[in-house]
Order: sequence, then C-alpha cells, then structure tokens
Amino acid sequence: MKVTLLQRGGLAAGINLQRPPQVVDAATLDGTAAAELKALADAAMVTPASATATGKARDEMSYVITIEDQGRETILSQSDTTMSAEFGKLLGWLKRHLKSH
Amino acid sequence: MRASYCRCINCITPPHVLKKLLDNSDTRVRDAALRTLLATSRLRGERSVRSLFASAAAASSHGRRTISDCSNSTFLAAATLARSEDGPASGDESVNRAFEGLGDTRAFYSEVFDRDSLDGQGMRLNAYVHYGSEYNNAFWDGSEMVFGDGDGVLFTDFTKSIDVIAHELTHGVTEFTAGLQYHNQSGALNESMSDVFGSLVKQWVGKQTAAQADWLIGTDIFTPAIGADALRSLKEPGKAYNNPTLGRDPQPDHMSKYVNLPDNDVGDNGGVHINSGIPNKAFYLAAIGIGGFAWEAPGHIWYAALSASTASTEFQEFADTTYLKAGQLYGTHSTEQQAVLSAWKEVGIRISGVRTLAGTATRMRQAAMTNGNGHDEDSSDVARQIEQLSRQLAVLTKEVAGLKSKSKAH
Repeated sequence: MKVTLLQRGGLAAGINLQRPPQVVDAATLDGTAAAELKALADAAMVTPASATATGKARDEMSYVITIEDQGRETILSQSDTTMSAEFGKLLGWLKRHLKSH
Repeated sequence: MRASYCRCINCITPPHVLKKLLDNSDTRVRDAALRTLLATSRLRGERSVRSLFASAAAASSHGRRTISDCSNSTFLAAATLARSEDGPASGDESVNRAFEGLGDTRAFYSEVFDRDSLDGQGMRLNAYVHYGSEYNNAFWDGSEMVFGDGDGVLFTDFTKSIDVIAHELTHGVTEFTAGLQYHNQSGALNESMSDVFGSLVKQWVGKQTAAQADWLIGTDIFTPAIGADALRSLKEPGKAYNNPTLGRDPQPDHMSKYVNLPDNDVGDNGGVHINSGIPNKAFYLAAIGIGGFAWEAPGHIWYAALSASTASTEFQEFADTTYLKAGQLYGTHSTEQQAVLSAWKEVGIRISGVRTLAGTATRMRQAAMTNGNGHDEDSSDVARQIEQLSRQLAVLTKEVAGLKSKSKAH
C-alpha cells in the first residue's frame, strides 16, 4: 500500500503551494507501523467527511490523501472544517511519520 | 436576476453606461461617472451592513474571550476550557498569548474604529489552541479562531505573532462588513484586509510609525532553523522568503505580475494568498506617503472602504472607494487622497476617471520625507488644478441632471 499526502491552502498557502506531495510506502515500514497505517487508511476510506464546507472558513487547509492498495486507488479530499475524525487520525499519523523520516 | 433588476431601476444612470463613461476622453465626464458609480456601490455596501446590524439583536458581551485547549485533536467539540475572560492566567503560554492577542485586537478595533468586537455588536471571541498534530497553520472557521503548534521543523506555535492572531480575527470583521467572497480578486482583497489590519494591530501595540514598522506578517512563527523573515511582506511582496526549503515568496507587487491560479482548493481559490500582495503594497505605499501612524488616516480610509465594499468588490472598485473615502474623510485634493491615488498607481491600478499628473507620486514621496506632512508648492499646484476640475465637474453634473429631466419629459 502507498499513501500520498498533498497539503494546500492555509495562512502559509504561498509556501504550501510550492511543496510537492509526500509519499509513505507501507513496504518500507516495519510490520507494526504498516498495520497501523492500513487500519487508519481503511477507517478513513469508509467514513464520510463530517460536514460539508460552509464557505465561511478562511485560511483553512485542505488535504488530498491518495491511497493505492492492491491495484485500487482511493482519493480522499477533505479540509480542516470538514474532515472526519478518522481522516484526522490518518492525517496526524502521516504527519508524525513524515516528520520523523 | 432580481438583484440586477432592482439595481437598474434604482440607479439614475445604468451601471454599464457609467462604466463606459469611465473610458471617456473628457476628464469631467470620467469624474462624474466615477462619483456616481462609487456612491451607488457605497450605498449597496452600507445597506448590507445596516441589515446585518438590524438582525443582531442580542445584547453585547463586549467581546468576552474564551480560550480552549484541543490537546492536539482536530475535534473542537472535545476541547477543554483553558482560560476565560474573568479567569486566572493559565500555566500554558499558548493559551495566554492567544488570550492577550485577542484582547489587543479587540482593543484596537474598539479604540481606533469604535467597533465593538468583530461584528460591531460585542460578539464573543472564542479561540482554540494546540489544534491537531504538527499543524502548521491558524484559521478562522467562520465563527472562531484556531491555532496550531507548528511542526517544530518549519513552524512553531502560531500564537507567537500578534499579527497572525489579528489577521484571523480580521477575517471576522471582513465577514461582518463587506463579506468579500473568498475567490480570485475579492478573495485576495479579503486576505489583504487581514494582512493590513493584522499589521496595524502590531504597529498599534508597539506604537510604531509607518516608517518604523517592519510591515511583515508572521515574523515569530518560523523555527530558528528556517531562514525566512516572515510569511508575507506588505512593504516588499515577493521578498519575505527565498530558500530551498520554503521556496520563493510568490506574491506579486504589481498588477502586471498578477498570478492566475485555478479557483479551487489546490489553486488557493484563485491565489487569494498570492495576489493579496498587490493591495498590500498599495496600503504600505499610502501609509508611507501620508506618514505618521498608519492606523490613523491610512487605516481609517481602508476601514471606511472595507465597510462600503460588497462581497464581489475587486481591486479596481476597492481602489476607487479608498480614493473616494480619502476625499470624504480628509478633503478632496488632500495629501491623504493624493497619497492613495499615487499608491494605487504604483501597483498598476489607476483610479477610475482620475488621471495622475506626471511626477505626482515622486513629489508626494519627497514631500512626505522632507516636510512630514506632504505639503509643498508642487502639491499646492496639483490641488489647484484638481479644484478647477471639480468646478467643471459640478457644472457637468448639473448638465447631466438637466438632460435627465428632458429625457423623462419625453
């Protein structure tokens, strides 16, 4: 499984706009981490966004998480004010992992 | 359809005809058309603001503050109370910085613009700190402010810069006044308002003149390892940062460099954080041209223009409105109005129906630097010539009124 994170918008949108997508390949993780990522991705994929965008938020960030698993590609696109709790947990895991690697 | 129809029957002259007249070779015709268009636009904005006030019947809480701690969750409803208006200081510096920043911004709008909190009706100020994990951002969710801790690599705590806190709160002020749509030019104006008033709050707290201020947004939210001055520079858009980690500041400082981006999340809604560099630079130039404290005349002109703007206002209309407001607040032909005219011209926006005289911008800067108040013989010459044009405009206005009466009679 391969998970790609694209972050856009935010107060620092000028910086985020220039940053490339970041990729986590489960094949490079140890067994525990790979299982965690798989469980978080599965939960995020089956949970819809918690809210629809009101159009009133300013400087919020938007995220596109692409999950490639066994030849299937799933694209999740949510934002700070619309994300589900499951999407938030996957996002948090990806950020912590990418920071430490 | 309905709104458009109503505007047409309420106008003396249809807007499309007035816009056409702005291209007329006769200065007097252009001036008359400009004033009519701006007056119409102003009335639309003020009607909108009045209706907002009328609907806000709740008693004022005078912007009482509540800070909540998200404990690194993204679920705001689960956040815990960390500090309230009358409660003791917290042991958490993020909480206290957010509390003080909200208070400074509230005091700024109250003392400088006599505005009671964000909505003018004493709306409560709620903020959340420690949002999410490694969260490199602060945002306004439509009714509350949210601050991240940063990832510790690029960014640190977003409560550390008072201008960032004031930037987010000003999104609330904009929403309750013009309600500028968050797309393309109106969105870039929305962002610019937050940068301008965010910077003014910082200057007001530090009692800095326009010349003393750094005009930077977010100087304190980068980690020491990152070689960046700030997120944005109103003084020098495009030069806030330039390094391999962050890339290069993409903000333009002139209309000729306007950046066209897709109007979606990935394209920053048409580059709202990018093209805000153009009106940001215009405000900086106006403030330097006028001199002194930027929250005084320049701030009042921009605030009046924001209050008179509408959701769809774009750069040209906003520039025209600042020129009109400068004239209304400080006098036609005043130093303030001329500084506004020159500032917009320098970023590639000519005030509709007004042609700047050759060298005016340069003379304005020289006058401000040498005299402090911008008055000298050259500007007096300019004022005399504009006075003459205004007299001609008055005559033309009467002629237009006469033509209208005749056309009604037919």
